[in-house]
Amino acid sequence: MRRYTMMMFILVLLAVTASLTGAEQKVITVLHVNDFHGFAEPYKPLGSDTLAGGIATLASEVGKIRAERPVLLLAAGDMIQGNNWANLFQGESVIELMNAMKFDAMVLGNHEFDFGTEILKKRISEAGFPVLGANVAGLGDLVTPYIIRELQGVRIAIIGVVTEDVPFTTHPRNVKGLTFLPVAGVVDRYVRELKGKADVIIVLSHIGFSEDRELARRVNGITAIIGGHSHTRVVDPPVVNNALIVQAWEHAKDLGELDLYMEGRKVVRAEERLIDISPAAGTGDPAVERIVEKYEKKVDALLDEPVGEALVDLDGEHVRSRETNLGDLIADIIRKTAGSDIAIIGGGSIRTSILKGIIRLRNIYAVSPFNNYIVAVRMTGRQVREALEHGVSAVEEGAGRFPQVSGLSFTYTLSAPPGSRVKEVMVAGRQLDPDRRYTVATDDFLAAGGDGYKAFGEAVRASKDYSVVGGVMKGDRLVYGNPGRWERDVIADYIRSGGKISLTAGGRIKEVSGR
Amino acid sequence: MNVSVNGCKVTLFPPMTTVRHALLTAGLFEELESGVKVYDEWGNEIGTEGALNEGAKIFVRSADS
Repeated sequence: MRRYTMMMFILVLLAVTASLTGAEQKVITVLHVNDFHGFAEPYKPLGSDTLAGGIATLASEVGKIRAERPVLLLAAGDMIQGNNWANLFQGESVIELMNAMKFDAMVLGNHEFDFGTEILKKRISEAGFPVLGANVAGLGDLVTPYIIRELQGVRIAIIGVVTEDVPFTTHPRNVKGLTFLPVAGVVDRYVRELKGKADVIIVLSHIGFSEDRELARRVNGITAIIGGHSHTRVVDPPVVNNALIVQAWEHAKDLGELDLYMEGRKVVRAEERLIDISPAAGTGDPAVERIVEKYEKKVDALLDEPVGEALVDLDGEHVRSRETNLGDLIADIIRKTAGSDIAIIGGGSIRTSILKGIIRLRNIYAVSPFNNYIVAVRMTGRQVREALEHGVSAVEEGAGRFPQVSGLSFTYTLSAPPGSRVKEVMVAGRQLDPDRRYTVATDDFLAAGGDGYKAFGEAVRASKDYSVVGGVMKGDRLVYGNPGRWERDVIADYIRSGGKISLTAGGRIKEVSGR
Repeated sequence: MNVSVNGCKVTLFPPMTTVRHALLTAGLFEELESGVKVYDEWGNEIGTEGALNEGAKIFVRSADS
């Protein structure tokens, strides 16, 4: 009898265990992308000969997983701004794409603000999915702090947060009237609010991988953080304070798949895998492919759009060795846009000429193909001279550092040794004062030290703490920046407003004999 | 903001705080053309337009090493 009782007990125990593990275990799948930046088509990343990415292929992978089981599809920010496929439509193309892919939610990234709040509101109103921004105040009902979705009987809360640094990473006018609250406090508040209302809490974040780790450390109760902003390819996701931290790189080159293994309403295991996306991975989703192609055709049409007329040839061929009329034109545009005293740009940033005749958008994009933006720095006359010295230090090699300038003129002697070639420098009809401070516009490439320019960086490094005060950038040395607007678009707008371009080079940069 | 590139301190200023800006400041950006990649302090590959935070440590090296 005792033996029979023991056997019965074991059988009951096995049955209970089976019901707890086998029968009730289920997998919740959350697919995610981040930092898409409008990279709809596959492309070759810098230093690679292999095509990667392609949103239609990514959509096809999403479709395959959806065919197997219900999933959530999330976007961790910076979706609508970046390359021409997105920018020429101010992100409308991306929202159409995301609607077709049936995204469940997206969090605002810092670059979502780059077209200004009115355009952002329009994009949000077009979205067929909720847009999250728990720490963004000022957008009214258009954004929501969190959503709760039920999948296989499991209640999943998704809280969305964006970096508090947005006012520093876009033009101040783009965030006028908006406030970005400290992330950790906001997340902690909503995690507490969601207690008892959700079984799983996911933070959809656009604050960067290291900040995600810090957030997990500071706030209890997060199941997973799906991140963006740092463009991190997290192959081996860490667990910090019981939260799994994941991120799926950038530009649709990876699709993240987060699998949460549930027993009842409890997560017993969380796993993440990255699915590499490339044209080689398979065929694209036909509906998404149609959208990509539709906007590609529109891009082509827009690039053919006339924006002005060149009454003379605009020389982009000799920009690495002498002043040219195209160099003058672009330097003038940059100086006027930044409202600075002077502009210095690298000749190497100008890639081709524009011939006399109709100027099309395509011509401007060919002249200025890089994703550079305008900044302006307060520099001493001495530092301006140093920048010019560097600019003419390798003229013999045809180096891209050769300067094209606006607001100043200078002479230099090629036969003098590099570092002491610049002779007379004039600003607004006066000799450059080595101790006076001038505002100098350039692009972020040169300002950060591209083409070997050090003077901009040295000037900025001497700056006191940079800040945004009353919606206006305040800083001792860094006085202008518009990271959401590429130089080529600024040039195009300027030419559009003026129409006819007739410019003769001469008088700004002169090579003189002697030492 | 101070970050480190291959162990060397680099100072960045908003809005120029991406991996690209750090590499330009460190004079290492052109190395990317030879196929080297950028990694964070935990060994994750990062894109050049990725945002950096105060104290970030990044490393430029070939994918194999």
